[in-house]
Amino acid sequence: MIFDEFFDVIVIGGGHAGCEAASASARLGANTALLTLNLDLIGQMSCNPAIGGIGKGHLVREIDALGGIMGRVIDRTGIQFRLLNRSRGPAVRAPRAQADRTLYRIEMRRTLEGTPNLCLRQGLVTSLLMEGGRVLGVELQDARRMGAKAVVVATGTFLNGRIHTGRQTYEGGRAGEPASVEFAEALKRLGLRVGRLKTGTPPRLDGRTIDWEAFEPQPPDERAVPFSFSTDHIRQQQLNCHLAYTNESVHAAIRANLHESPLYSGKITSIGPRYCPSIEDKVVKFPEKTRHQLFIEPEGYATNEVYLNGFSTSLPAQLQQELVSLIPGFERTQIIRPGYAIEYDFVDPKELSPFLETARLKGLFLAGQINGTTGYEEAACQGLLAGINAALGSLGRPLFRLNRRGSYIGVLVDDLITHGVDEPYRMFTSRSEYRLALRHDNADERLEPYGRELGLVGDSEWERFNQRRARLARASALLKECRLRRSDERYSICRELTGQELGDSLTLAELALRPRIDAELVMSLMPSSASSEFSIGDLETALADHLYAGYLGSQTAGLRRLNQHDALNIPQGFSFRTVGSLSHEIVERLERARPESFGQARQIPGMTPAALSTLLVHLTGSQSISGASQR
Amino acid sequence: MAAQTDTIVALSTPPGRSGIGVIRISGPDSLHILRTLVSAESYNPTPNLMRLKSLIDPNSAETLDEALVCFFKAPHSFNGEDVAELHCHGSPVLLRTIIDLILKLGARLADPGEFSLRAVTNGRLKLTEAEAIRDLIDAQTDTALRQATRQLKGEISNRLRPAKENLLETIVRLESSLEFVEDDLPAVQHQATIDSLLGLARDLSRLRSTFAAGKLLHDGIRVAFVGRPNVGKSSLFNSLVGHERAIVTEIPGTTRDTLTESIAVSGVPVLLIDTAGIRNSSDEIESIGVARARREAADADLLIVVVDGSEYLREEDQLVLAEVSDIRHIVALNKSDLPTFSTATFDGRVGADPNCSAVMSVSAKSEAGLESLRAAILEPFANGSAHSEGLLITNARHHDLLVRSIEAIASSAQLLEDFASEEIVLVGLHSALRYLGEITGETTTEEILGQIFSTFCIGK
Repeated sequence: MIFDEFFDVIVIGGGHAGCEAASASARLGANTALLTLNLDLIGQMSCNPAIGGIGKGHLVREIDALGGIMGRVIDRTGIQFRLLNRSRGPAVRAPRAQADRTLYRIEMRRTLEGTPNLCLRQGLVTSLLMEGGRVLGVELQDARRMGAKAVVVATGTFLNGRIHTGRQTYEGGRAGEPASVEFAEALKRLGLRVGRLKTGTPPRLDGRTIDWEAFEPQPPDERAVPFSFSTDHIRQQQLNCHLAYTNESVHAAIRANLHESPLYSGKITSIGPRYCPSIEDKVVKFPEKTRHQLFIEPEGYATNEVYLNGFSTSLPAQLQQELVSLIPGFERTQIIRPGYAIEYDFVDPKELSPFLETARLKGLFLAGQINGTTGYEEAACQGLLAGINAALGSLGRPLFRLNRRGSYIGVLVDDLITHGVDEPYRMFTSRSEYRLALRHDNADERLEPYGRELGLVGDSEWERFNQRRARLARASALLKECRLRRSDERYSICRELTGQELGDSLTLAELALRPRIDAELVMSLMPSSASSEFSIGDLETALADHLYAGYLGSQTAGLRRLNQHDALNIPQGFSFRTVGSLSHEIVERLERARPESFGQARQIPGMTPAALSTLLVHLTGSQSISGASQR
Repeated sequence: MAAQTDTIVALSTPPGRSGIGVIRISGPDSLHILRTLVSAESYNPTPNLMRLKSLIDPNSAETLDEALVCFFKAPHSFNGEDVAELHCHGSPVLLRTIIDLILKLGARLADPGEFSLRAVTNGRLKLTEAEAIRDLIDAQTDTALRQATRQLKGEISNRLRPAKENLLETIVRLESSLEFVEDDLPAVQHQATIDSLLGLARDLSRLRSTFAAGKLLHDGIRVAFVGRPNVGKSSLFNSLVGHERAIVTEIPGTTRDTLTESIAVSGVPVLLIDTAGIRNSSDEIESIGVARARREAADADLLIVVVDGSEYLREEDQLVLAEVSDIRHIVALNKSDLPTFSTATFDGRVGADPNCSAVMSVSAKSEAGLESLRAAILEPFANGSAHSEGLLITNARHHDLLVRSIEAIASSAQLLEDFASEEIVLVGLHSALRYLGEITGETTTEEILGQIFSTFCIGK
């Protein structure tokens, strides 16, 4: 086959998955091309102008620890940083930041353009070129052919995208941008199992027409916690968000017009994310609620445009305008971009290996919404993993995977390939069995060594990592050394704060286990040299390690009983039909999920304890397992 | 594993002489074996229908038995496999011969519970149901049988369901407050959550406390007869069992080994153990019997100390009474039919000895007082609610899981009390949910999330 250009790796799509994939692939030394419909919109945030949150913020920290780029880009372009769940334990705290949508996009493009081995190309891919079950390259709408050893598909909502507002419906990948329809057909022709999902976005408002006095401001954190382990401080100016609420008249107007909503008129049948419901859904499903909370979020420094988070809708544009005007403070407010719903194709992620390569088509990797996920962060971490493996594969190096124990990325991939998706998949901390171990602030400890080994973590980052490690070790030692005594002047303050008796003396490590003792207070109790040696962030990490040490043991013990056979390998090509007495249904489930370990098999929905013990017996070749079913 | 798909056979009725004996064959060769036995290669039985057939030994062509045979076609049998049942006459020799023949035809003897295991692996039974079936098979008496039937109907699952839902609700509230901090959710009520968890732990503890009684129901009460020789232990044993099991003679020391027999007392299985009379003997064999009697006494849940009430208390009687003083016991004064019988020596003993729950006057000969003695056997265990109609935990695995979940819930409540953060509290609650799930079926993360989204309006 004759190609116009040839690369090691081609990445299709310039969204959050595509950017990470292309960057990682190029930096691993693979000659990489990023193909996108519009080079001006690389790194575009399609929906809310924000990165992070609980679960999602954890993912961004992990991406950064592995050497990905999302954390650095948001650190440079974030306009409101907040650490969520500050009052809760460190495992469930996570950073979140509003982004300047335009600056984020520009910074992302600048980052990619500064990456050696990476070529940006504009064009619409119409088909994959295959030979003998292997990817050879892609064909473009303008008849160009590009060859590659591996292709990463990260098409987001563009794959056969269809936009709905009211009764209007049209093809599109995002408002004002074309969908990728021919390519969707091409993927189906290759035999991939394709389904349909839905998501939505709220209207954008003209900030000049808002009565800001009517809304409660939500200020940024005083001490911004960055996403990247290589960022020391957030220097740019920080802005407020505002809180708003819907009211009964808005709800009444929505109810009166439900027939106009494609969600309720039957035009849209595919499933959207339950945790990101449209305002129509909120009103219908929770009729007892008299108001729903909304967030007015700035889109950037240089624009008046604001984002009305929480008001996702596919009602007709004129009606959206009427509804918004019913909220006090928005009486004069003009919508400048209406909200809409979008349906798009996704590929059943059970088609994928833990490396995000399709099982049937060698060299074809999928990342992001095409795998049934939602969210920039979920997309980006898949892009990173797919990009790493596409590059490793093209360079003949062994592929890279992450497990559930060590990262949320591992949880996400394992969930996707084991269970598939019924609705757009979003990360929650409760998805992990090892929540206490997977903190946002120890992502470096967990993953940076992998990033270094792969070659994505540079010398200066690695140096920082080792320095931080040394500081944490010293801080930890110091916490166990320094004591608070009854004679100390801060003693009574601490006793009052905790509301507990503290005894004659206790170490700062012990003190920190008591309620309402935070890192700032502990720092003030340490020798004065400490504050110059450690940052508050260092101390928080050292304290968190200490706080959870005891629980991690018991959490692991509780899971061990359940998981003791999880590591048991299921050989590739293992025929579940040869396992006697598994019901037809169970065999079918197993064959669909193709678990690679007993642990994965255990998590397949519908697996009975009996089927599992039978499988276990078969896998171990031993009859001596516990349980009454063996009698 | 080939062993999972081969054909197994077993006698499904209790061993020993009986009216009929049912032989059950299960697995792919069941029909073939049945055809060979009825000597008709083309025999095509209507499933689920009983037919009278001659069972014929294919080697000798001799008719072994006239039996009712029934064939159940997979997957419409109780365990999802092809199953054949042969209802034969209940002679042990005959049944043995037929089973031997079936073994020669390619089946193998089933392991205990293997029929049920196949039912479980074929998805015909849930694990708790299978465990209850095992109890059903093992059930020795009617009460235990009712209990097993009750578990079979998923009653443990039903009983645990509200507790599990209660736990899930708490988990959902705590999880939501962690995961959706930006959403406008109702605040978690600290004290109410603690109270709810403590209530849950108490509720599960009540269920757990039925284990001791449940275990007695399941395993039965071990009751050993002890006493010096020739006070009539074996006669009493025989009277309670209802037929002559022990050899009774006038010669002291006739019983040299221990004999055991099961009886049902008010539906509770009672294992009666007749032991050799306890005395210092020069006879080596008798000495071994005495040593064994002492061991049985030590293992028993209850002793019946048999004393000859028509005679003065001998030194040997004193020896026995001294030996049992730290074991729960009843004193049975035998031979109340004789004129010299007197209870005087034992007046006041029940109050004086905390381990002595009753002194009964009985006569093995006239059977006087036997009913009272039966009732007295159960009395020490009555506090354990052996008669309660409530659900009883009989299975050690269920008991273990309940104990673990109670511990986990209680320690989570304590953590909340100490103002620990929710993610720490949730570790124990998720463990408890998993333990309960091992009894009733697992709750997946997806279900927890589903519950969150249907309870609260989430989403920016």
